[in-house]
Amino acid sequence: MIKLLFFGRLGDFAEGVAPNIEARADLTPAKIRDQLAADHPALFAELSQPQVLISLNQMVVGWEQPVFDGAELAFLPPVTGG
Amino acid sequence: MKPTIRIQTEDFDLGAEYQLLRQLDAAVGAVVTFTGLVRDLEKESSINSLTLQHYPGMTESLLQDIVDQAAARWDLIGLTVIHRVGELLPSDQIVFVGVASQHRADAFEAAQFVMDYLKTKATFWKKVEQDGQQHWVESKDSDQAASQRWANDD
Repeated sequence: MIKLLFFGRLGDFAEGVAPNIEARADLTPAKIRDQLAADHPALFAELSQPQVLISLNQMVVGWEQPVFDGAELAFLPPVTGG
Repeated sequence: MKPTIRIQTEDFDLGAEYQLLRQLDAAVGAVVTFTGLVRDLEKESSINSLTLQHYPGMTESLLQDIVDQAAARWDLIGLTVIHRVGELLPSDQIVFVGVASQHRADAFEAAQFVMDYLKTKATFWKKVEQDGQQHWVESKDSDQAASQRWANDD
């Protein structure tokens, strides 16, 4: 299983998205995003914004990073703390 | 260098945090503190509340990384970062950065660096409630520019 997390405004668009997805071979954050396009087009559009970063097991990575079983994948909009 | 990093829902006591930094070491000759507050984000109408979200675990690591960078860059004795999460009201304290050093220049610059990096790199997100409507706060280009100048400084 791969755990999906959506922070900030992305969380509003991710309502109804399953919190976990099945792991399979050759999975990447880009493929997981594309997989969401059919059922969640508004979320897909948000995730495709260039400012959105992703982290894998809490480390920021690129969209083509391999995603393995047991991973935690988070989608991070621009931060606004402080 | 003594680092202190806390993410918490409860308020913090500026005086108590200052005293901790002041009393760290007899070599402390300067303490700079910064406190960020909830302010009205929009000019037309005032906000009712602000909710701060973070990414538990990752946010602490990112703050640690910022503190480590500051410690490598300036001669510091103590550095405290406190950031609140959860629901806050106008004028509430959000964030505290306190730096103790021998000389003031290190403390001033390190405090500004930590705030500039915190605002652009640490995984916190603000949601505002205003007139019964909620919206997520947009990031600001001016914050990116403030952060960028430290990268150009090397």
